[in-house]
Amino acid sequence: MSVRIHIPPTLREWAGNADKEVIVQPGSVQDALIQLADRHPAAYRGVCDETGAVRRHVNLFVNDSLVRTPADFERTLSPGDELFIMPAVSGG
Amino acid sequence: MPVPIPLTDEERAVYEWQIWVDDFREAGQEKLKGASVLVSRVGGLGSVVAYELAAAGVGKLVLAHAGNVKPSDLNRQLLMTHDWLGRPRVESAEQRLKELNPRLQIVAVPENVSEENAERLVSEADLIVDCAPLFEERFAMNRQAVLQKKPIVECAMYDLDAQITTVIPGQTACLSCLFPEKPPEWRREFPVFGAVSGTVGCIAAMEAIKVLAGFGEPLANRLLTFDLRSMRFSKLAIERKPNCPVCGEPA
Repeated sequence: MSVRIHIPPTLREWAGNADKEVIVQPGSVQDALIQLADRHPAAYRGVCDETGAVRRHVNLFVNDSLVRTPADFERTLSPGDELFIMPAVSGG
Repeated sequence: MPVPIPLTDEERAVYEWQIWVDDFREAGQEKLKGASVLVSRVGGLGSVVAYELAAAGVGKLVLAHAGNVKPSDLNRQLLMTHDWLGRPRVESAEQRLKELNPRLQIVAVPENVSEENAERLVSEADLIVDCAPLFEERFAMNRQAVLQKKPIVECAMYDLDAQITTVIPGQTACLSCLFPEKPPEWRREFPVFGAVSGTVGCIAAMEAIKVLAGFGEPLANRLLTFDLRSMRFSKLAIERKPNCPVCGEPA
């Protein structure tokens, strides 16, 4: 069983296709982002800036928990965990 | 928070079904009658928020939205009609809301929220529902809501996805804790169905009703997200940032 990264609609075009989910191997949150960068570099650039920091209009969640501190990024993801990418969107 | 106003017999009859809600009752209805809500833009989200709050018996709505009705509004802006094309949106909204609830007091402002008017508009309300598409408007309202200690329901959507949270100043994460900056590539116009904005609008209206009447569990420090393609709903934990430039503690 692996880890599922949910790609939001605003980033799907960057991912180069309409995939809603990217399946990666278990590891840390940082490892999951590296795997995303390998598979969908454009989508990764929508999440992280050139220094590797998560962009300020994006939040990451593991299951229902916010990923914010360095320890959160080192957290080990277990098989079945889900990583949500949550960019800012608005009303209209 | 609102000062309760006693109901008339006519109002008891109109709101009978919701007064049956066990932890709301007539005391909750009196609070809604005494309440004022600012709805920033009455577009796809705000039309439904305003309609539900008018139906629920909120006493006063302040509606802020510039511009005239366009054909591309009509897939989702349910207070706008074909016969109002080319005429001011807030006038269409006011007319339709008055048809539903002639007791409702409406302040129709033909402007979008800005740095210049945010202080005044927020001061007119007990609670704000942020339905605006531009982050400049949203950040201006968020700052004033925090300064004036007014709860603000933040709602947003894109495609079939949506996000909602309720900010209680001093207690919960504010919009700037969650998103300190706007997405650089954000566009005012984006893909969405009216059924998506309407779903978000109904949930946002229910958040406003709960906070104003003081019952239930609002989305405080929780970000409700959903994807109507898969019908997956998640309630994610969020938190205040101690160094938030808007709501953080001064150094």
